[in-house]
Amino acid sequence: MTDQTGLLPPGFEALEPFVEGWVLTSSSERTAKRVQSDDDERRAFYEVGKNLAEEALAFLDQKSMSDFDDKEKRLMELMLSLVHASLAVEVQKSSELLHRQASIHLQYIETSDV
Amino acid sequence: MDNSLRVCQPTPEDLAWLGTAPIPAAPYYDPDYFALEQEAVFRRTWVHIGHISELPELGSYIVRPYEACDLSVLITRNSQGELQAFHNVCPHRGTQLVTELSGKRTRFTCPYHGWTFSNQGHLISAPDFDNFFLDDKDNCGLTGISIDECGGLIFINLDQSPKQDLRSFLGPFAGVLDNLAPAQASEFDEYEYEIAANWKVNYDNFQENYHLRFIHNRTGAAILSKENPFGYASDYSFWGPHRSQSLQKPTQPFTPEPVQGLAFAKAQALDTLPGGKADCKIFPNLFVVGLTNYVFTHTITPLSHNRSRGVFRVYRIGEAQSASQRFAREYTTASLRDVHVEDRAIIERGQRGLQGRSLTHINFQLHEALCRHLFNEVDSRVQAFKQQLAEEKIHD
Repeated sequence: MTDQTGLLPPGFEALEPFVEGWVLTSSSERTAKRVQSDDDERRAFYEVGKNLAEEALAFLDQKSMSDFDDKEKRLMELMLSLVHASLAVEVQKSSELLHRQASIHLQYIETSDV
Repeated sequence: MDNSLRVCQPTPEDLAWLGTAPIPAAPYYDPDYFALEQEAVFRRTWVHIGHISELPELGSYIVRPYEACDLSVLITRNSQGELQAFHNVCPHRGTQLVTELSGKRTRFTCPYHGWTFSNQGHLISAPDFDNFFLDDKDNCGLTGISIDECGGLIFINLDQSPKQDLRSFLGPFAGVLDNLAPAQASEFDEYEYEIAANWKVNYDNFQENYHLRFIHNRTGAAILSKENPFGYASDYSFWGPHRSQSLQKPTQPFTPEPVQGLAFAKAQALDTLPGGKADCKIFPNLFVVGLTNYVFTHTITPLSHNRSRGVFRVYRIGEAQSASQRFAREYTTASLRDVHVEDRAIIERGQRGLQGRSLTHINFQLHEALCRHLFNEVDSRVQAFKQQLAEEKIHD
Protein backbone atom coordinates (compact mmCIF):
# COMPACT_ATOMS: atom_id res chain seq x y z
CA MET A 1 0.00 0.00 0.00
CA THR A 2 1.28 3.44 -0.90
CA ASP A 3 1.77 6.13 1.70
CA GLN A 4 -0.94 8.68 0.95
CA THR A 5 -0.11 11.25 3.62
CA GLY A 6 0.69 14.71 2.43
CA LEU A 7 -1.20 14.44 -0.83
CA LEU A 8 -3.57 17.25 0.13
CA PRO A 9 -3.12 20.68 1.77
CA PRO A 10 -2.97 20.64 5.60
CA GLY A 11 -6.37 20.46 7.24
CA PHE A 12 -7.84 18.12 4.65
CA GLU A 13 -6.15 14.89 5.78
CA ALA A 14 -9.54 13.26 6.27
CA LEU A 15 -9.93 13.21 2.49
CA GLU A 16 -6.60 11.47 1.85
CA PRO A 17 -8.13 7.97 1.58
CA PHE A 18 -10.23 9.17 -1.36
CA VAL A 19 -7.39 10.65 -3.40
CA GLU A 20 -6.70 7.39 -5.20
CA GLY A 21 -10.24 6.79 -6.40
CA TRP A 22 -11.71 10.28 -6.77
CA VAL A 23 -8.99 12.62 -8.04
CA LEU A 24 -10.02 12.71 -11.70
CA THR A 25 -9.30 15.26 -14.35
CA SER A 26 -12.47 15.46 -16.44
CA SER A 27 -16.22 15.50 -16.05
CA SER A 28 -16.56 12.33 -18.08
CA GLU A 29 -14.14 10.49 -15.77
CA ARG A 30 -16.01 11.78 -12.72
CA THR A 31 -19.32 10.60 -14.19
CA ALA A 32 -17.79 7.23 -15.00
CA LYS A 33 -16.53 6.94 -11.41
CA ARG A 34 -19.98 7.72 -10.08
CA VAL A 35 -21.43 4.99 -12.30
CA GLN A 36 -18.78 2.40 -11.38
CA SER A 37 -18.60 3.04 -7.63
CA ASP A 38 -20.79 1.05 -5.27
CA ASP A 39 -23.06 2.61 -2.68
CA ASP A 40 -20.66 2.19 0.22
CA GLU A 41 -17.70 3.67 -1.59
CA ARG A 42 -19.70 6.65 -2.77
CA ARG A 43 -21.26 7.27 0.58
CA ALA A 44 -17.96 7.04 2.43
CA PHE A 45 -16.49 9.74 0.20
CA TYR A 46 -19.64 11.83 0.36
CA GLU A 47 -19.87 11.75 4.17
CA VAL A 48 -16.35 13.07 4.63
CA GLY A 49 -16.51 15.40 1.63
CA LYS A 50 -19.73 17.16 2.54
CA ASN A 51 -18.34 18.25 5.89
CA LEU A 52 -15.18 19.68 4.38
CA ALA A 53 -16.53 21.12 1.13
CA GLU A 54 -17.26 24.64 2.33
CA GLU A 55 -13.90 24.89 4.04
CA ALA A 56 -12.05 23.43 1.05
CA LEU A 57 -13.62 25.89 -1.39
CA ALA A 58 -12.90 28.84 0.92
CA PHE A 59 -9.29 27.68 1.12
CA LEU A 60 -8.95 27.22 -2.64
CA ASP A 61 -10.68 30.53 -3.39
CA GLN A 62 -7.67 32.34 -1.94
CA LYS A 63 -5.64 31.49 -5.02
CA SER A 64 -6.13 31.71 -8.75
CA MET A 65 -6.82 28.23 -10.13
CA SER A 66 -3.94 28.52 -12.56
CA ASP A 67 -1.55 28.89 -9.59
CA PHE A 68 -2.65 25.70 -7.78
CA ASP A 69 0.15 23.36 -6.70
CA ASP A 70 -0.36 19.61 -6.99
CA LYS A 71 -1.97 19.30 -3.56
CA GLU A 72 -4.42 22.11 -4.23
CA LYS A 73 -5.21 20.71 -7.63
CA ARG A 74 -6.02 17.34 -6.06
CA LEU A 75 -8.28 18.99 -3.52
CA MET A 76 -10.06 20.89 -6.31
CA GLU A 77 -10.58 17.71 -8.29
CA LEU A 78 -11.92 15.96 -5.20
CA MET A 79 -14.46 18.76 -4.80
CA LEU A 80 -15.51 18.33 -8.42
CA SER A 81 -15.91 14.58 -7.89
CA LEU A 82 -17.94 15.32 -4.77
CA VAL A 83 -20.45 17.04 -7.07
CA HIS A 84 -21.09 13.75 -8.85
CA ALA A 85 -21.06 11.58 -5.74
CA SER A 86 -23.50 13.97 -4.05
CA LEU A 87 -25.96 13.85 -6.93
CA ALA A 88 -26.13 10.09 -6.43
CA VAL A 89 -26.40 10.22 -2.62
CA GLU A 90 -28.48 13.37 -2.10
CA VAL A 91 -30.78 13.40 -5.14
CA GLN A 92 -31.09 9.97 -6.73
CA LYS A 93 -30.75 8.11 -3.42
CA SER A 94 -32.02 4.53 -3.79
CA SER A 95 -32.80 5.12 -7.46
CA GLU A 96 -29.13 5.56 -8.35
CA LEU A 97 -28.83 1.98 -9.57
CA LEU A 98 -31.59 2.51 -12.10
CA HIS A 99 -30.32 5.97 -12.96
CA ARG A 100 -26.82 4.84 -13.76
CA GLN A 101 -28.00 2.30 -16.31
CA ALA A 102 -29.42 5.21 -18.28
CA SER A 103 -26.53 7.52 -17.47
CA ILE A 104 -24.00 5.84 -19.73
CA HIS A 105 -25.84 7.05 -22.81
CA LEU A 106 -25.15 10.73 -22.14
CA GLN A 107 -21.51 11.46 -22.90
CA TYR A 108 -19.62 14.55 -21.84
CA ILE A 109 -17.68 16.18 -24.66
CA GLU A 110 -14.62 17.70 -23.00
CA THR A 111 -13.78 21.26 -23.87
CA SER A 112 -11.99 22.73 -20.87
CA ASP A 113 -11.05 21.76 -17.35
CA VAL A 114 -9.08 22.99 -14.36
CA MET B 1 -45.06 40.00 -39.95
CA ASP B 2 -46.06 41.37 -36.57
CA ASN B 3 -43.21 40.78 -34.16
CA SER B 4 -45.28 40.15 -31.07
CA LEU B 5 -45.80 36.71 -29.59
CA ARG B 6 -49.25 35.18 -29.59
CA VAL B 7 -49.69 34.47 -25.89
CA CYS B 8 -52.29 31.81 -25.10
CA GLN B 9 -53.77 30.79 -21.80
CA PRO B 10 -54.04 27.02 -21.41
CA THR B 11 -57.75 26.98 -22.21
CA PRO B 12 -59.57 25.18 -25.03
CA GLU B 13 -60.73 28.56 -26.37
CA ASP B 14 -57.30 30.14 -26.48
CA LEU B 15 -55.64 27.12 -28.11
CA ALA B 16 -58.48 26.14 -30.46
CA TRP B 17 -56.58 27.51 -33.47
CA LEU B 18 -54.12 24.61 -33.17
CA GLY B 19 -56.89 22.05 -33.66
CA THR B 20 -58.00 19.24 -31.38
CA ALA B 21 -58.05 16.17 -33.63
CA PRO B 22 -55.78 13.19 -32.98
CA ILE B 23 -52.48 13.41 -34.86
CA PRO B 24 -51.47 10.78 -37.46
CA ALA B 25 -48.82 8.46 -36.03
CA ALA B 26 -46.95 7.69 -39.27
CA PRO B 27 -44.96 10.96 -39.32
CA TYR B 28 -43.25 9.73 -36.14
CA TYR B 29 -41.89 6.49 -37.61
CA ASP B 30 -42.32 6.41 -41.39
CA PRO B 31 -39.10 6.55 -43.50
CA ASP B 32 -41.00 8.07 -46.45
CA TYR B 33 -42.28 10.90 -44.28
CA PHE B 34 -38.78 11.50 -42.98
CA ALA B 35 -37.45 11.75 -46.55
CA LEU B 36 -40.01 14.49 -47.18
CA GLU B 37 -39.02 16.28 -43.95
CA GLN B 38 -35.39 16.31 -45.04
CA GLU B 39 -36.36 18.21 -48.18
CA ALA B 40 -39.23 20.32 -46.88
CA VAL B 41 -37.69 21.26 -43.52
CA PHE B 42 -34.02 20.48 -43.09
CA ARG B 43 -32.84 21.60 -46.54
CA ARG B 44 -34.61 24.95 -46.43
CA THR B 45 -34.72 26.18 -42.83
CA TRP B 46 -32.20 27.98 -40.62
CA VAL B 47 -30.68 25.33 -38.35
CA HIS B 48 -28.32 25.87 -35.41
CA ILE B 49 -24.91 24.30 -35.95
CA GLY B 50 -22.29 25.98 -33.76
CA HIS B 51 -21.18 28.78 -31.45
CA ILE B 52 -18.96 31.75 -32.26
CA SER B 53 -16.44 30.70 -29.59
CA GLU B 54 -15.59 27.70 -31.79
CA LEU B 55 -14.17 30.11 -34.39
CA PRO B 56 -12.33 32.59 -32.16
CA GLU B 57 -9.79 34.00 -34.65
CA LEU B 58 -9.37 35.06 -38.25
CA GLY B 59 -8.57 31.85 -40.10
CA SER B 60 -10.35 29.58 -37.60
CA TYR B 61 -12.41 26.80 -39.12
CA ILE B 62 -14.64 23.98 -37.94
CA VAL B 63 -16.07 20.96 -39.72
CA ARG B 64 -19.46 19.75 -38.54
CA PRO B 65 -21.66 16.92 -39.71
CA TYR B 66 -25.15 17.96 -40.70
CA GLU B 67 -26.60 14.54 -40.20
CA ALA B 68 -30.17 15.59 -40.94
CA CYS B 69 -29.15 15.71 -44.60
CA ASP B 70 -26.19 13.35 -44.44
CA LEU B 71 -23.61 15.97 -45.28
CA SER B 72 -20.55 17.71 -43.85
CA VAL B 73 -20.22 21.47 -43.44
CA LEU B 74 -17.01 23.52 -43.44
CA ILE B 75 -17.35 26.81 -41.55
CA THR B 76 -14.57 29.40 -41.74
CA ARG B 77 -13.85 32.82 -40.31
CA ASN B 78 -12.30 34.68 -43.23
CA SER B 79 -9.70 37.45 -43.18
CA GLN B 80 -12.47 40.07 -42.80
CA GLY B 81 -13.72 38.24 -39.73
CA GLU B 82 -16.90 37.09 -41.43
CA LEU B 83 -18.30 33.61 -41.08
CA GLN B 84 -18.68 31.56 -44.25
CA ALA B 85 -20.04 28.05 -44.72
CA PHE B 86 -19.49 25.56 -47.50
CA HIS B 87 -20.30 22.03 -48.41
CA ASN B 88 -17.15 20.22 -47.27
CA VAL B 89 -16.74 18.75 -50.73
CA CYS B 90 -14.17 19.25 -53.48
CA PRO B 91 -16.06 20.27 -56.66
CA HIS B 92 -13.67 18.23 -58.81
CA ARG B 93 -15.14 14.81 -58.05
CA GLY B 94 -16.86 15.17 -54.73
CA THR B 95 -14.15 14.10 -52.30
CA GLN B 96 -14.64 15.24 -48.73
CA LEU B 97 -12.20 18.12 -48.39
CA VAL B 98 -11.35 18.49 -44.68
CA THR B 99 -11.39 15.77 -42.05
CA GLU B 100 -10.01 17.64 -39.00
CA LEU B 101 -12.86 18.88 -36.79
CA SER B 102 -11.32 22.29 -36.14
CA GLY B 103 -8.18 24.36 -36.52
CA LYS B 104 -6.70 27.47 -38.04
CA ARG B 105 -5.97 27.55 -41.75
CA THR B 106 -6.62 29.87 -44.64
CA ARG B 107 -6.19 27.26 -47.38
CA PHE B 108 -7.59 23.79 -47.84
CA THR B 109 -6.10 21.26 -50.23
CA CYS B 110 -7.98 18.23 -51.44
CA PRO B 111 -5.79 15.18 -50.82
CA TYR B 112 -7.01 13.41 -53.96
CA HIS B 113 -5.71 15.66 -56.81
CA GLY B 114 -4.39 18.70 -55.03
CA TRP B 115 -7.10 21.28 -55.73
CA THR B 116 -6.54 24.13 -53.25
CA PHE B 117 -9.19 26.53 -51.96
CA SER B 118 -9.09 29.72 -49.91
CA ASN B 119 -11.13 30.00 -46.71
CA GLN B 120 -13.48 32.17 -48.76
CA GLY B 121 -14.21 29.18 -50.99
CA HIS B 122 -12.29 30.26 -54.10
CA LEU B 123 -10.29 27.75 -56.10
CA ILE B 124 -6.71 29.05 -55.88
CA SER B 125 -4.93 26.35 -57.81
CA ALA B 126 -5.61 23.02 -59.49
CA PRO B 127 -2.77 20.95 -60.97
CA ASP B 128 -2.92 20.64 -64.77
CA PHE B 129 -6.09 22.73 -64.88
CA ASP B 130 -5.67 23.34 -68.65
CA ASN B 131 -6.69 19.76 -69.34
CA PHE B 132 -10.14 20.35 -67.83
CA PHE B 133 -12.96 21.44 -70.11
CA LEU B 134 -13.61 24.40 -67.85
CA ASP B 135 -13.31 28.07 -68.72
CA ASP B 136 -11.88 29.51 -65.59
CA LYS B 137 -11.27 28.78 -61.94
CA ASP B 138 -13.84 31.34 -60.77
CA ASN B 139 -16.62 28.86 -61.39
CA CYS B 140 -14.88 26.06 -59.54
CA GLY B 141 -15.15 27.27 -55.95
CA LEU B 142 -16.66 25.44 -53.00
CA THR B 143 -20.44 25.31 -52.90
CA GLY B 144 -21.65 27.90 -50.40
CA ILE B 145 -24.18 27.44 -47.66
CA SER B 146 -26.08 30.38 -46.17
CA ILE B 147 -24.80 31.25 -42.69
CA ASP B 148 -25.62 33.83 -40.04
CA GLU B 149 -25.33 34.33 -36.32
CA CYS B 150 -27.68 35.56 -33.63
CA GLY B 151 -26.77 35.93 -29.97
CA GLY B 152 -23.55 33.99 -30.54
CA LEU B 153 -25.40 31.01 -32.04
CA ILE B 154 -24.44 30.10 -35.59
CA PHE B 155 -27.15 28.94 -37.99
CA ILE B 156 -26.91 27.57 -41.52
CA ASN B 157 -29.49 27.21 -44.25
CA LEU B 158 -28.92 24.84 -47.17
CA ASP B 159 -31.20 27.00 -49.28
CA GLN B 160 -28.69 29.18 -51.15
CA SER B 161 -31.17 32.04 -51.29
CA PRO B 162 -33.25 31.66 -48.12
CA LYS B 163 -36.74 33.12 -48.17
CA GLN B 164 -35.97 35.03 -44.97
CA ASP B 165 -32.77 36.19 -43.36
CA LEU B 166 -32.03 34.69 -39.96
CA ARG B 167 -33.37 37.56 -37.85
CA SER B 168 -36.62 37.71 -39.83
CA PHE B 169 -36.94 33.96 -39.37
CA LEU B 170 -36.38 34.23 -35.61
CA GLY B 171 -38.77 37.17 -35.19
CA PRO B 172 -39.11 38.24 -31.56
CA PHE B 173 -36.77 35.44 -30.46
CA ALA B 174 -33.81 37.22 -32.12
CA GLY B 175 -33.95 39.96 -29.50
CA VAL B 176 -34.21 37.39 -26.72
CA LEU B 177 -31.12 35.53 -27.96
CA ASP B 178 -29.17 38.81 -28.21
CA ASN B 179 -29.43 39.20 -24.44
CA LEU B 180 -28.60 35.68 -23.29
CA ALA B 181 -25.23 34.31 -22.12
CA PRO B 182 -24.24 32.60 -25.42
CA ALA B 183 -23.90 36.09 -26.95
CA GLN B 184 -20.98 36.72 -24.59
CA ALA B 185 -19.73 33.24 -23.72
CA SER B 186 -16.21 32.12 -24.62
CA GLU B 187 -16.75 28.46 -23.75
CA PHE B 188 -19.46 25.95 -22.84
CA ASP B 189 -19.94 22.58 -21.19
CA GLU B 190 -21.27 19.96 -23.56
CA TYR B 191 -22.79 16.50 -23.45
CA GLU B 192 -24.61 14.47 -26.05
CA TYR B 193 -26.58 11.31 -26.61
CA GLU B 194 -27.82 9.18 -29.43
CA ILE B 195 -31.26 7.74 -29.18
CA ALA B 196 -33.45 5.28 -31.05
CA ALA B 197 -36.23 7.81 -31.50
CA ASN B 198 -37.63 9.95 -34.27
CA TRP B 199 -36.51 13.56 -33.83
CA LYS B 200 -40.05 14.80 -33.15
CA VAL B 201 -40.75 12.07 -30.58
CA ASN B 202 -37.54 13.17 -28.91
CA TYR B 203 -38.21 16.91 -29.23
CA ASP B 204 -41.78 16.61 -27.93
CA ASN B 205 -40.56 15.17 -24.65
CA PHE B 206 -38.89 18.49 -23.91
CA GLN B 207 -41.89 20.66 -24.71
CA GLU B 208 -44.51 19.31 -22.34
CA ASN B 209 -44.57 19.24 -18.53
CA TYR B 210 -47.19 16.44 -18.32
CA HIS B 211 -44.44 13.82 -17.83
CA LEU B 212 -42.55 15.64 -15.08
CA ARG B 213 -44.25 14.08 -12.07
CA PHE B 214 -43.80 10.58 -13.47
CA ILE B 215 -40.30 10.75 -14.91
CA HIS B 216 -38.64 13.46 -12.80
CA ASN B 217 -40.13 12.83 -9.38
CA ARG B 218 -36.65 13.05 -7.83
CA THR B 219 -35.00 15.82 -9.84
CA GLY B 220 -38.07 17.88 -10.66
CA ALA B 221 -40.26 17.59 -7.58
CA ALA B 222 -39.80 21.23 -6.64
CA ILE B 223 -42.18 22.61 -9.28
CA LEU B 224 -45.07 20.24 -8.48
CA SER B 225 -47.69 21.44 -5.99
CA LYS B 226 -51.15 20.67 -4.72
CA GLU B 227 -52.53 23.53 -6.86
CA ASN B 228 -50.55 22.51 -9.95
CA PRO B 229 -49.89 18.77 -9.52
CA PHE B 230 -48.42 18.36 -13.01
CA GLY B 231 -46.30 21.51 -12.92
CA TYR B 232 -47.98 22.82 -16.06
CA ALA B 233 -46.92 26.10 -17.62
CA SER B 234 -49.26 29.04 -17.03
CA ASP B 235 -49.14 30.17 -20.64
CA TYR B 236 -47.95 29.10 -24.08
CA SER B 237 -46.71 31.54 -26.70
CA PHE B 238 -46.26 31.26 -30.44
CA TRP B 239 -44.65 33.20 -33.23
CA GLY B 240 -44.45 31.74 -36.72
CA PRO B 241 -43.02 28.23 -36.43
CA HIS B 242 -41.43 28.93 -33.00
CA ARG B 243 -42.92 28.60 -29.57
CA SER B 244 -42.33 29.15 -25.87
CA GLN B 245 -43.78 28.37 -22.49
CA SER B 246 -43.65 30.15 -19.17
CA LEU B 247 -41.08 28.60 -16.86
CA GLN B 248 -42.36 27.32 -13.56
CA LYS B 249 -40.98 28.55 -10.28
CA PRO B 250 -40.52 26.11 -7.41
CA THR B 251 -43.73 26.20 -5.43
CA GLN B 252 -42.82 24.14 -2.42
CA PRO B 253 -40.56 25.30 0.35
CA PHE B 254 -37.35 23.60 -0.61
CA THR B 255 -34.66 22.55 1.84
CA PRO B 256 -31.58 21.61 -0.13
CA GLU B 257 -29.25 18.79 0.84
CA PRO B 258 -25.80 19.86 2.10
CA VAL B 259 -23.70 19.74 -1.09
CA GLN B 260 -26.67 20.80 -3.20
CA GLY B 261 -27.23 23.83 -0.98
CA LEU B 262 -23.57 24.78 -1.14
CA ALA B 263 -23.55 24.53 -4.94
CA PHE B 264 -26.78 26.54 -5.31
CA ALA B 265 -25.43 29.28 -3.03
CA LYS B 266 -22.17 29.50 -4.96
CA ALA B 267 -24.00 29.60 -8.30
CA GLN B 268 -26.31 32.31 -6.98
CA ALA B 269 -23.41 34.39 -5.72
CA LEU B 270 -21.01 33.91 -8.63
CA ASP B 271 -23.00 33.07 -11.75
CA THR B 272 -26.22 35.06 -11.68
CA LEU B 273 -26.73 36.03 -15.30
CA PRO B 274 -28.16 39.19 -16.76
CA GLY B 275 -30.98 38.74 -19.26
CA GLY B 276 -33.42 36.94 -17.00
CA LYS B 277 -35.23 33.72 -17.72
CA ALA B 278 -36.15 32.79 -21.26
CA ASP B 279 -37.64 29.86 -23.10
CA CYS B 280 -37.16 29.62 -26.86
CA LYS B 281 -38.23 26.60 -28.85
CA ILE B 282 -36.79 27.47 -32.23
CA PHE B 283 -38.12 25.59 -35.25
CA PRO B 284 -37.27 22.98 -36.23
CA ASN B 285 -34.93 21.41 -33.68
CA LEU B 286 -33.41 23.84 -31.16
CA PHE B 287 -34.20 24.70 -27.55
CA VAL B 288 -32.60 27.71 -25.87
CA VAL B 289 -33.42 27.91 -22.18
CA GLY B 290 -32.20 30.82 -20.09
CA LEU B 291 -32.15 30.14 -16.36
CA THR B 292 -30.84 32.20 -13.47
CA ASN B 293 -27.34 30.69 -13.38
CA TYR B 294 -26.83 29.34 -16.88
CA VAL B 295 -28.27 29.11 -20.35
CA PHE B 296 -28.48 25.81 -22.13
CA THR B 297 -29.13 24.87 -25.73
CA HIS B 298 -30.38 21.48 -26.80
CA THR B 299 -30.23 20.59 -30.48
CA ILE B 300 -31.99 17.46 -31.71
CA THR B 301 -30.70 16.31 -35.07
CA PRO B 302 -32.41 13.52 -36.97
CA LEU B 303 -30.10 10.70 -38.02
CA SER B 304 -32.85 8.70 -39.74
CA HIS B 305 -36.60 8.18 -39.44
CA ASN B 306 -36.17 6.53 -36.03
CA ARG B 307 -32.82 7.78 -34.69
CA SER B 308 -31.69 11.17 -33.48
CA ARG B 309 -28.83 12.86 -31.66
CA GLY B 310 -29.20 15.41 -28.90
CA VAL B 311 -26.46 17.86 -28.04
CA PHE B 312 -26.63 19.96 -24.89
CA ARG B 313 -24.41 22.99 -24.41
CA VAL B 314 -24.34 24.90 -21.14
CA TYR B 315 -23.22 28.52 -21.28
CA ARG B 316 -22.12 31.06 -18.67
CA ILE B 317 -20.25 34.31 -19.12
CA GLY B 318 -16.46 34.08 -18.91
CA GLU B 319 -14.24 31.32 -17.61
CA ALA B 320 -14.55 30.25 -13.99
CA GLN B 321 -12.51 32.68 -11.88
CA SER B 322 -12.39 30.71 -8.65
CA ALA B 323 -12.65 27.24 -7.17
CA SER B 324 -16.15 28.01 -5.93
CA GLN B 325 -17.32 29.14 -9.33
CA ARG B 326 -15.78 26.06 -10.98
CA PHE B 327 -17.49 23.86 -8.37
CA ALA B 328 -20.88 25.53 -8.93
CA ARG B 329 -20.59 25.08 -12.69
CA GLU B 330 -19.66 21.41 -12.38
CA TYR B 331 -22.73 21.00 -10.19
CA THR B 332 -25.24 22.83 -12.39
CA THR B 333 -24.13 21.01 -15.55
CA ALA B 334 -24.09 17.60 -13.85
CA SER B 335 -27.51 18.10 -12.26
CA LEU B 336 -28.98 19.26 -15.58
CA ARG B 337 -27.49 16.18 -17.19
CA ASP B 338 -29.13 14.00 -14.53
CA VAL B 339 -32.55 15.32 -15.52
CA HIS B 340 -31.83 14.42 -19.13
CA VAL B 341 -30.63 10.95 -18.17
CA GLU B 342 -34.12 10.35 -16.81
CA ASP B 343 -35.71 11.47 -20.07
CA ARG B 344 -33.77 9.36 -22.52
CA ALA B 345 -35.01 5.92 -21.50
CA ILE B 346 -38.69 6.80 -21.62
CA ILE B 347 -38.36 8.48 -25.03
CA GLU B 348 -36.91 5.29 -26.54
CA ARG B 349 -39.78 3.34 -25.07
CA GLY B 350 -42.17 5.75 -26.80
CA GLN B 351 -40.54 5.07 -30.14
CA ARG B 352 -40.61 1.30 -29.63
CA GLY B 353 -44.36 1.50 -29.14
CA LEU B 354 -44.93 3.51 -32.30
CA GLN B 355 -42.54 1.58 -34.50
CA GLY B 356 -44.77 -1.47 -35.05
CA ARG B 357 -47.53 0.63 -36.63
CA SER B 358 -49.89 -0.39 -33.81
CA LEU B 359 -51.50 3.04 -33.76
CA THR B 360 -52.97 5.09 -36.56
CA HIS B 361 -53.12 8.19 -34.38
CA ILE B 362 -51.64 9.67 -31.23
CA ASN B 363 -53.27 12.17 -28.89
CA PHE B 364 -52.09 15.51 -27.53
CA GLN B 365 -53.91 17.15 -24.64
CA LEU B 366 -54.29 20.88 -23.98
CA HIS B 367 -50.95 21.10 -22.19
CA GLU B 368 -49.23 19.31 -25.07
CA ALA B 369 -50.10 22.25 -27.29
CA LEU B 370 -46.47 22.85 -28.21
CA CYS B 371 -46.14 19.28 -29.53
CA ARG B 372 -49.23 19.83 -31.66
CA HIS B 373 -47.80 23.10 -32.94
CA LEU B 374 -44.54 21.41 -33.99
CA PHE B 375 -46.50 18.75 -35.87
CA ASN B 376 -48.64 21.40 -37.58
CA GLU B 377 -45.59 23.39 -38.64
CA VAL B 378 -43.73 20.35 -39.98
CA ASP B 379 -46.74 18.85 -41.69
CA SER B 380 -47.77 22.06 -43.45
CA ARG B 381 -44.26 22.21 -44.97
CA VAL B 382 -44.32 18.53 -45.92
CA GLN B 383 -47.75 18.84 -47.54
CA ALA B 384 -46.73 21.99 -49.45
CA PHE B 385 -43.60 20.20 -50.68
CA LYS B 386 -45.65 17.20 -51.82
CA GLN B 387 -47.97 19.57 -53.65
CA GLN B 388 -44.98 21.21 -55.32
CA LEU B 389 -43.65 17.81 -56.42
CA ALA B 390 -47.04 16.88 -57.85
CA GLU B 391 -47.22 20.14 -59.80
CA GLU B 392 -43.71 19.67 -61.17
CA LYS B 393 -44.72 16.20 -62.35
CA ILE B 394 -47.70 17.59 -64.26
CA HIS B 395 -45.50 20.15 -66.01
CA ASP B 396 -42.87 17.59 -67.04
